[in-house]
Amino acid sequence: MTLWEIKNKQSASIDSLDPNLMPAVFERLNEMGFSSGQAVQCLRRSPLKGPVVLQVGDCVYSLEQSIASSINISLN
Amino acid sequence: MKNIILVGKPNSGKSLLFNQLTGMRQKVANFPGVTVELKSGQFDEYRLVDYPGTYSLKSLSKDEELAIEKLHEAMHSEDTSLIVCNLDATRLERSLVFGLQVRDLAFEHNKGVIFALNMIDEVQRFGHQIDTDKLAADLGCAVFAMSAKTLIGLHEFKLGLLDACKHPQDFVPNKGNDSDTPVLEISRKLSAQYGIKADVVLKQQNRIDDFLLNSMFGGLIFLSIMFLLFQSIFTWASPLMDGVETIMTELAMLTSQFLPSGMVNDFVSDAMFGGVGSFLVFVPQIMVLTLIIGILEDSGYLARAALICHKPLSFFGLSGRSFIPYLSGHACAIPAIMAARTIESPRKRMITMMTIPLMSCSARLPVYALLIAVLIPDTKYLGGLLNLQGITFFILYFIGIFTALLVSTLLTKLTDLNKDETEMPFILELPTYRLPHWKPLIHRVLTSAKQFIRRAGPVIFMVSVVIWFLGYFPENGNLQSSYLAAIGQWIEPVFAPLGLDWRYGVAILVSFLAREVFVGALGTLFGIEGADENIAGLAANIQQDGLTLGAGIGLMLFYVVALQCVATVATLKGETGSGKIAWGLFAGYGLLAYFIAWIAASLI
Repeated sequence: MTLWEIKNKQSASIDSLDPNLMPAVFERLNEMGFSSGQAVQCLRRSPLKGPVVLQVGDCVYSLEQSIASSINISLN
Repeated sequence: MKNIILVGKPNSGKSLLFNQLTGMRQKVANFPGVTVELKSGQFDEYRLVDYPGTYSLKSLSKDEELAIEKLHEAMHSEDTSLIVCNLDATRLERSLVFGLQVRDLAFEHNKGVIFALNMIDEVQRFGHQIDTDKLAADLGCAVFAMSAKTLIGLHEFKLGLLDACKHPQDFVPNKGNDSDTPVLEISRKLSAQYGIKADVVLKQQNRIDDFLLNSMFGGLIFLSIMFLLFQSIFTWASPLMDGVETIMTELAMLTSQFLPSGMVNDFVSDAMFGGVGSFLVFVPQIMVLTLIIGILEDSGYLARAALICHKPLSFFGLSGRSFIPYLSGHACAIPAIMAARTIESPRKRMITMMTIPLMSCSARLPVYALLIAVLIPDTKYLGGLLNLQGITFFILYFIGIFTALLVSTLLTKLTDLNKDETEMPFILELPTYRLPHWKPLIHRVLTSAKQFIRRAGPVIFMVSVVIWFLGYFPENGNLQSSYLAAIGQWIEPVFAPLGLDWRYGVAILVSFLAREVFVGALGTLFGIEGADENIAGLAANIQQDGLTLGAGIGLMLFYVVALQCVATVATLKGETGSGKIAWGLFAGYGLLAYFIAWIAASLI
């Protein structure tokens, strides 16, 4: 499943990033901590399919649908 | 003078550190070539240069690209004696990713680096200790634990910084045994070893977010904050504005007593106090607006606002990141157009830039304030919390935003056909909530006032003088038979459908240089006419003169829409890379403004 399908307060670990992502975006996500094996927790879902709020490592990020759905995860 | 370069991730307390090191004397300089705003200040015998915060040395947006380019230039420069990298002690892993990249870059160029482990007070508050010596040994660089806020460790840091500046070669990173390990791996390892547990730090932030980003209350709180923001521009600033006005009136009376009556006296009271003075009255409003935007930004709320706005704004083809340029566009379009660089998607950045001029910038404030004072009664509701004039302000701002969203939708629809397949996505960090520190805030507020006066002052002065001469001669003080009246009557047919006479026509025309000139020009014109009246009370003069409600409202709407600012057109040209777009917007918004004003004047 992808990170876009994660439910509020669920925890997961990241499997992989879509290799078709633009290299710059791929690299940045990696640097932000979205790399395989890392733990991720959903802090909030926004109404109307707005950006999802996630905790990865020591930071909180918000990602929109197009990017969250190109990150593959497994639920814990 | 040798330079010290200050770098770090955004939201890591870097600007406060900069302020603590340099004191209140700073210069904001746009360096030659592409304009990246670099603040510099004096530290001992060195120049400390504050580089814009970046997450990585690999850029994702235009602003990062430019900042990184500048950093590479500095690395090559002989004048750079040392790099100071600011780390956020509460977010060691994320700040080390950038920190290690900087360390490696400095190593390549044989430059000295020291790390400022900032916000150590917050880590200590949770009872966590970071072994700085061991961390320094692992990094192969000097590390100073300190807090720019509580000042702990700042003295030691300053001594260390001076020492490092004197012997920069001793501070070139010693990469030791991790030279082949990827940066991400090292930062993860070091953060696990030294850092504080993320859940401890993020607990408070997440609790506040539960409230401020709540699906139900979040939007309501957002709207209330925005409403109070605009309301406060009017209510909080008015005592200050009255103060400036009183000083102006007193000064005008004093000088006119000292000067012999005649032409010089008329010139000083009409052109100087009537023209230039009536625009100085609005400086407090600009300062209040800048203060509130600054508080929202430094507290961390602006990032949440961008998140809340992302989905609604995407319906109009914009990004949540468009919110911040839009908001700062209410202070001034020029920095706002620059701020649009943070929008990753080139297309959304372009549309944001093209619609920013519709945000009611502070230069419109004098015009709105004057016309509202003329047309709208000062009725108060809810025990003074709301007043009708404040509400009118809010409506004018809202009309600007509404028009901008309409134009954005139109532009998105028009450019939809050749839609870029590789749209940059929306990725946003939500920083920790912090109580804003007064030092950077005060500095920002003073700079906004200074820049406003410096930018508009000379234009207003020149226009006031020219208008005064044209309006005063040939019949010393008889406006109706002056040169200006002759010119004015020639252009009057253009403004007659809007219900405005030639004096307003002249003021509108000259305000195409810069909007706030309108008030100065009108002040000079009414000053010449009513020689004995109170010069500062321009609103009262216009009221007596009789401006109809329809024409007045049309005039306000004209100023909401029209792009009357030469500096903005120039910035648009530079940032969009197209003179056609810039002048096209100038003409387009001008015609639209005229049309709307004509409808208002005809209907009301």
